[in-house]
Amino acid sequence: MSELFVELFSEEIPARLQINARNELKKNIKNFFIENQIKFNENFNVYSTPNRLVLLVDKIPNEIKLSSEEIRGPNVNAPEKALEGFIRSNNTILEKIFKKNTEKGEFYFFKKESRKIKVSDLLEKNLSEILAKIAWNKSMKWANYDLYWGRPLKSILAIFNKKPLNFVFNHINSSNKTFKDKSLEEGMKTFKDFNSYLKFFRKKGILIDQDLRKKIIQNKINEIINKKNLKIEHNDRLVDEIVNIVEKPVVIVCDFDKKFLNVPSEILITTMQTHQKYLPTFDKKNNLTNNFFVVSDIKDTKGFVKLGNERVIEARLSDAEFFWEKNKTQNLVKQVDKLKNINYFKGLGSYFDKIQRMRKLSSLISDDFLISKDKIEIASSICKVDLMSDLVGEFPELQGIVGGHFAKFQGFDKEVCLAVSEQYLPNGMESKLPKKMYSVALSLSDKLDSLVGFFGINLKPTSSKDPYAIRRMAISLVRLIVENETKIKLKDLIIYTCSVYRDQGYDFDTKKIQNELSDFIIERLKNYLKEKKIRQDIIESSTFLLGLDDLLKAYKKSLCLNKNIKKEIGFETIAAYKRSSNILNTEEKISAGSLGFADPGLFKNDYEKKLYKKINDIRKYFLSIGKDENYEESLIILSSIKKEINDFFDNVIVNDEDIIIKKNRLELLNMLCKTFDNYFNFSKINA
Amino acid sequence: MVSKIKKKTLSFQDTIFNLQKYWSKKGCVILQPYDLEVGAGTFHPATTLRSLGRKPWKTAYVQPSRRPTDGRYGDNPNRLQHYYQFQVLIKPSPKEIKKMYLNSLSSIGINHEEHDIRFVEDDWESPTLGAAGLGWEVWCDGMEVTQFTYFQQMAGVECKPVSVEITYGLERLCMFIQNKKSVFDLIWNDEGITYKDVFHQSEKEFSAYNFEYANTDNLFKIFEMLEEETRSLVEKKISLPAYDQCLKCSHVFNILDARGVISVAQRAEYIARIRELTKSIGKVWIESQS
Repeated sequence: MSELFVELFSEEIPARLQINARNELKKNIKNFFIENQIKFNENFNVYSTPNRLVLLVDKIPNEIKLSSEEIRGPNVNAPEKALEGFIRSNNTILEKIFKKNTEKGEFYFFKKESRKIKVSDLLEKNLSEILAKIAWNKSMKWANYDLYWGRPLKSILAIFNKKPLNFVFNHINSSNKTFKDKSLEEGMKTFKDFNSYLKFFRKKGILIDQDLRKKIIQNKINEIINKKNLKIEHNDRLVDEIVNIVEKPVVIVCDFDKKFLNVPSEILITTMQTHQKYLPTFDKKNNLTNNFFVVSDIKDTKGFVKLGNERVIEARLSDAEFFWEKNKTQNLVKQVDKLKNINYFKGLGSYFDKIQRMRKLSSLISDDFLISKDKIEIASSICKVDLMSDLVGEFPELQGIVGGHFAKFQGFDKEVCLAVSEQYLPNGMESKLPKKMYSVALSLSDKLDSLVGFFGINLKPTSSKDPYAIRRMAISLVRLIVENETKIKLKDLIIYTCSVYRDQGYDFDTKKIQNELSDFIIERLKNYLKEKKIRQDIIESSTFLLGLDDLLKAYKKSLCLNKNIKKEIGFETIAAYKRSSNILNTEEKISAGSLGFADPGLFKNDYEKKLYKKINDIRKYFLSIGKDENYEESLIILSSIKKEINDFFDNVIVNDEDIIIKKNRLELLNMLCKTFDNYFNFSKINA
Repeated sequence: MVSKIKKKTLSFQDTIFNLQKYWSKKGCVILQPYDLEVGAGTFHPATTLRSLGRKPWKTAYVQPSRRPTDGRYGDNPNRLQHYYQFQVLIKPSPKEIKKMYLNSLSSIGINHEEHDIRFVEDDWESPTLGAAGLGWEVWCDGMEVTQFTYFQQMAGVECKPVSVEITYGLERLCMFIQNKKSVFDLIWNDEGITYKDVFHQSEKEFSAYNFEYANTDNLFKIFEMLEEETRSLVEKKISLPAYDQCLKCSHVFNILDARGVISVAQRAEYIARIRELTKSIGKVWIESQS
């Protein structure tokens, strides 16, 4: 049993490309072993540092035995040349060729004897192709070469069973050597196996295994924060990035001048995380502190690294502080007029036009939400002013949040500030959701205005392209409505938004926008339910003939049925519906001319009467519940028809000889189905 | 022998001299700055045009770079509307370029064994040049000191062979070397002249020009005239004069942008117009090379 060890040495490959390359390499090598029926340890590993992509597979046999096989050649009637070629390609002689009849005619055959193949030969033959199959998310060319790789590839080390594998990959010859030093790419060293390689680099403090690097970074950070009574924010993405941009991680605690803590913390955090890849720390009350972590790729023996990083953050924070001090006193209200100079989108006017529309929209929403019209209008008016500030110029990802801070500093109402701050939330499926009604109203009006606008100028996303992230906007709208249990009339709001656009002189086709947008939003609701792991058939049922105003209902009903579908109340409800609808489906002609009700005077027995009474009870229930429907209770009521429906089917033959009786019984079942439709159309549910 | 005397601080001009000497030894043609206003060293025809076509090329030069929107009237310690880049371009990209680069840092006193030198992903794109490349920004103890890019496309044409471009931000680099918090405190030479002495007035006055006084009506007209001139020179197949006119277009656009008279939508349109000019010039240049 042997070990395959490959190292691909390159210039620094970015973190996400490394992760992508590790996965690709793992997949390709696995396929190779499986396709060639070579045994291998399936729990093998792929490691990487910014410069080294390392593959290690063990428990591989040195030889594999291929059983004998008959190889079919050309047809016996084919020209002689074909036979010659066949003989040549199989490296054999004419005497060993024989003819044989098959279903398709008579062919030449050659019997390949069972034989042993060296795995090292197979690897040498195939490794180049395996490497070429790596699908990079982003790749490049360099110098005069034609190879595409994440960053320039410099050398390939390949060892099997302690011996070098020799192959050529584009312009590079493999060997059993690699660079000792990643920086200057100097000093080639020969290796025999992975263990000695690992040990050699470990001695230099270099950790090839990314998981080990992660553990060491985390342990060191935990040790320090425990000692200093601090916390760090859980941030997998940043940590994973840091892990993959160092080979010998050294955690360094740095600090910045406490005076910067007067600048809004979001600005400081963004500067540290996004721009510098630092980890900010918080005290036990979740307040940002002036300590932060730098993960260096070198031991800071002379203190240069700490000093340098502290100077960088100091310069960046002074810049941010300068802008904050300058911008925070610039009167928001006085600047609103200047939004006329800023284009919102080609064909949709300026930001000034946009906030005029948002004011009207949010004002209408405030009626439904029972919140102050004045306050939401103020929030709408000032919400885009921060786009003109230096701070948002520097930190575009903090638009809104920065505006909220300006508003707070200038003494605006607390709810207004929060609404400005949260106007862009949620931003898609995973993002934080605003909960306060002012925030929800402002965010809703922003998104509605954008959606109607983009549909109005015909910039709907296509199946493959969505450059303005309109899908995400609509998903966010759906989330605002369903997760906050917002009771708004979405349909009316869309019509109203169109009319507001028309008032501004936009020539929008209201009917068309309404139809297209309605379909689009309901499609997003379906995706949303899918993300929430709701069964596909339940999604189809809940959105069947769904009106825009009932998104919340559809969401709650599908959630409730999804939860209960395997339980008695769900199961029995569906069983009762299905038994009834199955018969109706086979008697289509009769149900087509349905009156919509059964005639109690035509009932022949108690089972019919009891079922009729039960259906009417359920109808009364649905008439009485109004807006406060408890969907689980509705399912309980529906499923309680179990006895009546079972008794009916056990004792009554629907298909009576008397066509009038038969029709009346079908009407009764039809009544049941129609009554069940009060929950939703169960016909799409797979029983 | 290690000297016990503290090394004297490397001045701004000595930093430039050292880099020039270093890259000169590596076989680069040391050029002087291009004599037109440009936004970055990349715009110098020795980079844009010379990176196109098959002929090998090695050069290094200082390029004054103008970014009107970055002006702060000389009030901000880190922002300038006029600053210096040291630019290296080598085609085809040599195998040992990383080593060459790290040694160039040693030549100005930055030893990679004492500092955390990091190659951080930063793919580059210039919409006006129709150019794109992959590479890094190089961090030294957290400070970005260099852009390191493998050109993949220039003037809309795929680069073959690929050039490597190294751009040092000289002020940043010197602030790091001299341990200064403000760019204006940089020591320019050994006679005690500072960056402030040389450039502060210019920052103040040009910020005023860029943000307040530039005559936008005229500039819009000038843009049109320059664009027309570029097109006519492209037709006459003289790529270098055409490229000069195009650079001027680009600078006029940058001032208009700083004056805040170009809307978001217009911006994209102007950039596209300049890109079209660059592309047509690139074509003429490549033809002239064969």
